[in-house]
Amino acid sequence: MSTTSFAEELRTRSDSELSKLFSLRPDLVTPLPGDMAALAARANSMPSLIRAIESLNKWQLDCVHAICTLEEPFAKNELVSITEKGAALVLEELWAFGLIYQDGAKYRLPSNLRNLIGDEPTGLGPKLPTTKKVNFSLLEKAPAASQEVLNRLVWGPPRGQVGNTKKPGPAIEWLIENNFLVAMDSQTVVLPRDIALHLRGGKVLRDIITSAPVLTGRSRKQIDVDRAAIANVSTFLRWCEELSHNWSDEPPVALRSGGLGVRDLKRTSEHLGIDEVCAGFIAEILFIAGLIVIDTDDQIMPTSAFDIWMTKPLEDRWHALVSLWLETSRVSGLIGKADAKNIAPLGPELDRAGISAIRKSTLALLQNNMQIDPAIDSIQQILKWQSPQRFNSEFIEWTLREAEWLGITGQGAISTFGSALINGAEELGIESALPKPVDHILIQADNSAIAPGPLTIELSNMIGTIADIESRGGATVYRFSEASIRRGLDHGQTGDQIKDFLKKTSKTPVPQPLEYLINDVSKRHGRLRIGTASSYLRCEDEGLLAQILHDKKIESLRLRKLAPQVLICDFDMAEVMTTLRESGYLPAAENGTGILLSAPAVRRAKSRPRPPRILSETSAPTDLVIKSAVRAIRAGEKATSHKPRNVPRTTANETLDILHQYIDEAASCTIGYADTNGGVSNRLIDPVSISLGTLLAKDHATGELQSFRIPRITGVSPAEN
Amino acid sequence: MSDGPLIVQSDKTLLLDVDHLLSDECRRSIASFAELEKSPEHIHTYRLTPLGLWNARASGLDAEHVIDTLLKYSRFAVPHAILVDVAETMSRYGRLRLEAHPVHGLVLVSHDAAVLKEVTRGKKVAPMLGLQLDDETIVIHPGQRGFLKQALLKLGWPAEDFAGYVDGEHHEIDLVQDGWSIRKYQELAAEGFWHGGSGVVVLPCGAGKTIVGAAAMAHAKATTLILVTNTVAARQWRDELLKRTTLHEDEIGEYSGSKKEVRPVTIATYQVMTTRKKGVYAHLDLFDAIDWGLIIYDEVHLLPAPIFRFTADIQSRRRLGLTATLVREDGMEGEVFSLIGPKRFDAPWKEIEAQGYIAPADCVEVRVTLTDAERLNYATAEPEDRYRFCATSQTKQDVAIALALKHKDEQVLIIGQYLDQLDALGEALQVPVIKGDTPIKERERLFAAYRTGEIKCLVVSKVANFSIDLPDATIAIQVSGTFGSRQEEAQRLGRILRPKADGRGARFYSVVARDTVDQEFAQNRQRFLAEQGYAYRIVDADDIHLGK
Repeated sequence: MSTTSFAEELRTRSDSELSKLFSLRPDLVTPLPGDMAALAARANSMPSLIRAIESLNKWQLDCVHAICTLEEPFAKNELVSITEKGAALVLEELWAFGLIYQDGAKYRLPSNLRNLIGDEPTGLGPKLPTTKKVNFSLLEKAPAASQEVLNRLVWGPPRGQVGNTKKPGPAIEWLIENNFLVAMDSQTVVLPRDIALHLRGGKVLRDIITSAPVLTGRSRKQIDVDRAAIANVSTFLRWCEELSHNWSDEPPVALRSGGLGVRDLKRTSEHLGIDEVCAGFIAEILFIAGLIVIDTDDQIMPTSAFDIWMTKPLEDRWHALVSLWLETSRVSGLIGKADAKNIAPLGPELDRAGISAIRKSTLALLQNNMQIDPAIDSIQQILKWQSPQRFNSEFIEWTLREAEWLGITGQGAISTFGSALINGAEELGIESALPKPVDHILIQADNSAIAPGPLTIELSNMIGTIADIESRGGATVYRFSEASIRRGLDHGQTGDQIKDFLKKTSKTPVPQPLEYLINDVSKRHGRLRIGTASSYLRCEDEGLLAQILHDKKIESLRLRKLAPQVLICDFDMAEVMTTLRESGYLPAAENGTGILLSAPAVRRAKSRPRPPRILSETSAPTDLVIKSAVRAIRAGEKATSHKPRNVPRTTANETLDILHQYIDEAASCTIGYADTNGGVSNRLIDPVSISLGTLLAKDHATGELQSFRIPRITGVSPAEN
Repeated sequence: MSDGPLIVQSDKTLLLDVDHLLSDECRRSIASFAELEKSPEHIHTYRLTPLGLWNARASGLDAEHVIDTLLKYSRFAVPHAILVDVAETMSRYGRLRLEAHPVHGLVLVSHDAAVLKEVTRGKKVAPMLGLQLDDETIVIHPGQRGFLKQALLKLGWPAEDFAGYVDGEHHEIDLVQDGWSIRKYQELAAEGFWHGGSGVVVLPCGAGKTIVGAAAMAHAKATTLILVTNTVAARQWRDELLKRTTLHEDEIGEYSGSKKEVRPVTIATYQVMTTRKKGVYAHLDLFDAIDWGLIIYDEVHLLPAPIFRFTADIQSRRRLGLTATLVREDGMEGEVFSLIGPKRFDAPWKEIEAQGYIAPADCVEVRVTLTDAERLNYATAEPEDRYRFCATSQTKQDVAIALALKHKDEQVLIIGQYLDQLDALGEALQVPVIKGDTPIKERERLFAAYRTGEIKCLVVSKVANFSIDLPDATIAIQVSGTFGSRQEEAQRLGRILRPKADGRGARFYSVVARDTVDQEFAQNRQRFLAEQGYAYRIVDADDIHLGK
């Protein structure tokens, strides 16, 4: 009887069925396979099967396991009989997934799926030839300890370790004697499949859950949720702004391995008044969005994208960051987690596959259960059922935590804004829910100013330069101090501009002490001037200096008069000295403290000494080196003397076949092996195993296990003794 | 979005818009659980602190009430983290209770075994615990009551003290209200204290804290120990008690450097209590001399550290702390909370002023420009001498004298830190100087003469910072101080805040040398008062000389 192949079956599927398949397994069409054979090969490949299995829910996955216990081809009824009625529906779903295919009225599995699931589906042991009869009625009289052992093995794993199968304890001994257990080797016993199935009552699954549990949690009012969420949104945006400003003032320096150091993270978290995990999260989000970057000199600071981002409406700002969060594969929950390795924010180690899918399924679940602040156990159970292969309890916990920080949720339940975001709505309604920006401040007698709401961006930038922030939240409290006013002056404001600005912006009169403070500081500001010069000319004869200053021959020195007796210059001392001498002046050099340098300066290089390497006689080799060398030479001798010069060339497939033979026979062989330069050398080896395109073999030359890339093996020939 | 008067900030400060319609109502609600940090003209700042929240729990408020209040008055959405934090903090209070056990005396009780386990593991706490009676009860030596409460507070598990107070020896004390009557806020303060058992009353200088003390004594009707800062203050307390209560002279004793009387009501100075002879505190027995029913700590913000330790020993006696500013420059507010007791009453200065019980004050900073010679000397002075140098400069002296002469018809106090500066001023103005070495008798005579108006102007050193009652002083001229001390500035202003017979306002001059550390310190000193709503005005010394 001929069997239908997977490719043949795929050919018979209709267009809509194929479309369904592709939508369920998008990886099958990227890149597009050439024909049905190629599609079948792709669908039967391990990576694709793994992806497909990951997207199954628990019930579907259980059915796949159950199917693996059946002989192929199998009928629908066979599956139903070992599980339950609902499996018939699942069978159709699995067929749509391309995880089973039809062979006449029956079904088959793509060949690799069995390998993927393994030899012990649903924890059933191997099928052993039933030579000995098992009398199940004996079980009732079995010792309690033996029954205990059986109970442990019946639902898998079916194997157990014992000290010695020849001399087991009484419980095991009874089971072996009565053929319930079979000794696999000297230390392993196994429960044969038939017996386990019998003990399971003909079913293969212990408990069958055909649908997800219901989400439980505290119920919330949507209006409260939205209020809390909007508070979270504005807090989150403020953190982002604040962190960027802080890093612009004091940029942290990235670690050599990439990422933000623990100390900088701590400082940032203290500055923001949040814990380090949250600070790390904010930094990550900004980093993903390109609002901060690790600069070429390893300083971490905001980019110009940040300035553009700041000019956008709040809703757009939020939307930009949150939609990135939904997609990113970086998991900031890993930051600073208490395990052996401290993972740094912005570092290279934060990517985890599948997190985005977890985020989306978590939020979808919240969206289907509006106004519920879910119990963490409940949400984890549901998601575990939905995709058992992808389940990660920590990731779910982090997703909920981050969603709350972001303001997608409020009081644990999803907000209308978050829901609109997931639905891809254009307008999220955040802008209208956030407090309106205010355009004034209130200045008080204790030199503090209060912005009773979010300030417009121009105002907050301006006040930020002339006052320090003392308290943040819905409102902002600023404090004016000598240092903050000075900063404003450094930014190019004048005292009068600051006063005018405050008079214009403040709803309350500017207190007199503050005006005095501004006057005092601006009066003193800039009285001292600092600049750089490379050298100076000093002379008590002011006439001479005037002459030098007007001398056309030395105009190139671009001298500048700083004081009646001092000129400065941007060129270094030696150059000025030479030029002046050439023009007929008689300058003398002095050092920083005014001491005359009478002797000509002895010049020294500024760089560190780097003497060249010394080539010396080679030192005597160690015993170990000598021993290895001798062995290598002897092995080489053996290889050349025992062997034709050239190993015949074989194709890759032939090579594999031949190597498999040698592995099975456990015999030595010679291979031609191309090195990275293309030169072929012959190696005498004992092949051990082949996996992932690599041959693992013992090389006679070194006496050690070594791996050989299959494509580099030019040919195989027997080792001649 | 509601339009409430309150803004809850993420750093746990609460901003109250006082111009808002609901601000009064809101202030009353939040005052019970948040600490008033500052109260300038427009926006008052309160802070949610663990101490404040525990105080609220101690007075019977629960977390739900606090959260409701915040949500009700808040202008913007309240950060969720704050609400969680409030509930969490408040739930920590009262998990541990100190109770009186009929057999074992004092016991520490908790129905939460985990908390009890946690605190018994505490390094500081473990040695204070006695026998564990069962899973919920541990015997405590009565002498450890105060120390244990202190240690538990540090661990973040404040114990609620239900062990009660000893009544002390009964002594009949009543207020005698003839020709005067106790003010509403004084009565509230005394009652607040009495119902709380122990605690601190915060009132501005000049608002009559002595009367609150007297009212508390009338509640207790028991022997009372009063601890004050110095002898003059002790005498003032005595005079006041004689005037306001049924006490007679022979019932009140003074325990000071000069006298050692122990009577049913004894007034002792901090100094004598902390005097050591051969390394031993010689006068500690006073705490046990009589079965005191009440102990009053005047100016509790100045309470010296040794007194804290004694106080820990006497936790079964009622304790009342009185102060104008709970600001301690040494940050020991936590000790005051756990050993004296929580804050029981607090009133903003400006509120009392509005009721007319303290005089309105005009605070003026007089900026003096030093002469070029003085500036040069200042610039080259050693850093540690700089303040002294600019604070005592001749130019400042001249301005102070000009100010004193300008107000020669009013009662003037000139207050300073450096004795040679004060002596020079006294000489120039031909007025008496009171400083540390002035005998008590002489001080009292001078103060009395000042009160009657016989002397118009007095120069005083920091001995007069506290507790000196000079009702008619209307002008204070501060020439130097203890660097940037905020509470000193407040206390000195307090000297002139007694309401004047003719309703006149007081004026507080602070003479400051421009562009020197004097100016920096002045800014810091003024901060507390500015936060209380006292707006300083700055004038130039030249204007004074010109008679403006």
